[in-house]
Amino acid sequence: MDVELQINNGATAATRFVSWAPSPCRIRVTNPSGATSPTVNVTIAGVSSASGGVVVFRAGATGSFANSLTLPVPTNGTTVPFFVAGRFGRPSVNNGDVKIEARVGATLVGSVSLMVRIRKNANALTAGERDRFVSAFAQLNNQGLGRFADFRNMHTNVSSPQAHGAPGFLPWHRAYLLDLERELQAIDPSVALPYWRFDQAAPRIFNRDFLGVSNALGTVQFNATNPLQFWKTDGVQGINRRPFFSTTSAPPGVRTEPQTLALGTQYAAFQTMEGNPHGSAHTSFGGSIASIGTAAKDPLFFLLHCNVDRLWAKWQRQNGRFNPALAASFANNGGNPIGHNLPDTMWPWNGITGGQRPPTAPGGSMAPSPCVSAPGLQPRVQSSLDYQGTVNATSRMGFDYDDVQF
Amino acid sequence: MAPTRKAAKRSKPARKKSPKKSPKKSAKKSARKRSSKRSVKAESPKVAARRAASIATSPKGTVKARVAAAALAPLAVCESDKDLQAMLKTLRNQDEPVKVRLAALQAMQAASFSVVAFESSRGDYIATLRAIADDPDPELRQRVLGILAREKDGYAQKKLLEGLKDPKKALVPPEKALQLLSYDVHADAYSAARDIVKKPPDEMARREALRLLAADATAAPMFEKLLRDKKELREVRQIAASALQALKPEKMQQHAREILLDKSDYDDIKATSLTALAQFGDQEAIGKDKALLKSVDRLSAGKASAKYKQSASRFLGKYGQ
Repeated sequence: MDVELQINNGATAATRFVSWAPSPCRIRVTNPSGATSPTVNVTIAGVSSASGGVVVFRAGATGSFANSLTLPVPTNGTTVPFFVAGRFGRPSVNNGDVKIEARVGATLVGSVSLMVRIRKNANALTAGERDRFVSAFAQLNNQGLGRFADFRNMHTNVSSPQAHGAPGFLPWHRAYLLDLERELQAIDPSVALPYWRFDQAAPRIFNRDFLGVSNALGTVQFNATNPLQFWKTDGVQGINRRPFFSTTSAPPGVRTEPQTLALGTQYAAFQTMEGNPHGSAHTSFGGSIASIGTAAKDPLFFLLHCNVDRLWAKWQRQNGRFNPALAASFANNGGNPIGHNLPDTMWPWNGITGGQRPPTAPGGSMAPSPCVSAPGLQPRVQSSLDYQGTVNATSRMGFDYDDVQF
Repeated sequence: MAPTRKAAKRSKPARKKSPKKSPKKSAKKSARKRSSKRSVKAESPKVAARRAASIATSPKGTVKARVAAAALAPLAVCESDKDLQAMLKTLRNQDEPVKVRLAALQAMQAASFSVVAFESSRGDYIATLRAIADDPDPELRQRVLGILAREKDGYAQKKLLEGLKDPKKALVPPEKALQLLSYDVHADAYSAARDIVKKPPDEMARREALRLLAADATAAPMFEKLLRDKKELREVRQIAASALQALKPEKMQQHAREILLDKSDYDDIKATSLTALAQFGDQEAIGKDKALLKSVDRLSAGKASAKYKQSASRFLGKYGQ
């Protein structure tokens, strides 16, 4: 007998990525030989390598998770649904480092390797995770000629009012990061965007194997094996970044995580984090990252914003702020600028140009994911809030943070 | 064992909780503490930011307190014209301590990220930056010119070019001027960079000039020469490799192959060449290139650093070796 396990309801390797939020899965008998009854009891369980990811299961959309699950599966090929999630605190390190095995009694009848793909603290990545991320990023940029140029062009002075200075700041950047992450995953599906915890020392980020070491002038230098040595944006070689602090410590004056989370339980209060820590983290450097129009030239920008997004996610979890219908989840007073109200579509993914929108919309629609359908090709502000599918399971965007539970 | 200094310090608060104090007094103090904690918590981010802006811009406070307060002031700068003007005044005032002025600049720049809220203040901000672009303090000058250059500010670009042509007028060292001009490269900047490459005042200025010329198509032959010159500094050869990969990718791929085949070239430049091939090379052609794979195998098995050997092994692994 053989069974097929479909992760994220898909049968291809591209769908075999899960996070803390439960992924809908299916199991079906593909070869009933040896079956003696209309249904067989199949037990599924995860098998992990020492440092690999760990998965847990449940039969329905609600209820508690378990290390294994026994399901009655019809032998006529009808699929049976179940849910898989990564066990919080046990993300994968490599693609396929956790396997789901299906057994009837002691007999193995099917298996599938997958990854608990989670956004992690960049300072704690393994060398392999770091190198895969850097390599994918360098390929995406392809010396300023690749798809990354669109991301560079999305974050400029002209487009800035779509993304800054109003309540849509956090939703817009969440969509922006997700779009970029999906493009990186199209190059290497094992990559998740890491974050720079700007309230902690991060010496393993600011080294020559990762995001480089700045010389006295602020020119960032890399090892000969680091593909970022070929970085080029706007036709200009290299990265300019001059830290105003020792990179063996955290930048001073930037609000810490507890201070940020204590800004208030209403979104209107929390969104003031756009100034500090967000703006203050940007301006703890000289160089391109310190100005809106040039910030996206530096790969560090995306790690900084990943942390901003993580803080929002953590605040949402702490205060239960995933539901757009809840007033405290967003500052939707109806008078926000365009692109900053809950029902508004977000530029550039909506393709709208002119008028109150920028004159061009680089990059087209949001990159699709083989694992999830949210937030859709043309996300709205409101589609960014319920990123784990807490309120509505179909809103799940397929990413999670290593320290923010489902 | 005698207590360590740290342990002694830690024991201090415990001593403060002396049982000698009357329970009534203690209770009052606790209540005051709780109340004070509540009032700090209850203070909205906007109120806290305005209070911080007031401390940062008042000459009465200590430098340390003012610098710390400025970090919490960006929101106030966006919300209140009074706070904005006070912060700009602090930034302009040469009698203020430089540390405070730098903190005020950082707060203003952080506030500028809140585009919609900051938009009405942008004009005043840029005008202030231009006014202090020639400030006597070199660090402040450099940071201000950096912000203006990133905004592609014509005034700053003019000043930077003038300084390159006439060192007496230079507001920043030539290498910094070149770096800042690279945010918006014009023909004038290329011309100044070429002059510096011909007659560099120092090595750093030469490197920045080369970096700037990496966008100049006519510079490709120069970069080919630099890449293959074994007497050149590694960093210069690395700049040349990156420039060539962008200007003439097919030439860079050819040179990268030749460098890897050359037993006498240095391991670090071989590693750069290998990275160029791995990232941007024609994978099918590389897989069939036995001589190249053999040379990479030599690198992986030779006396190169562990990092280079690992990179070579990964390359070979990719091509099934």
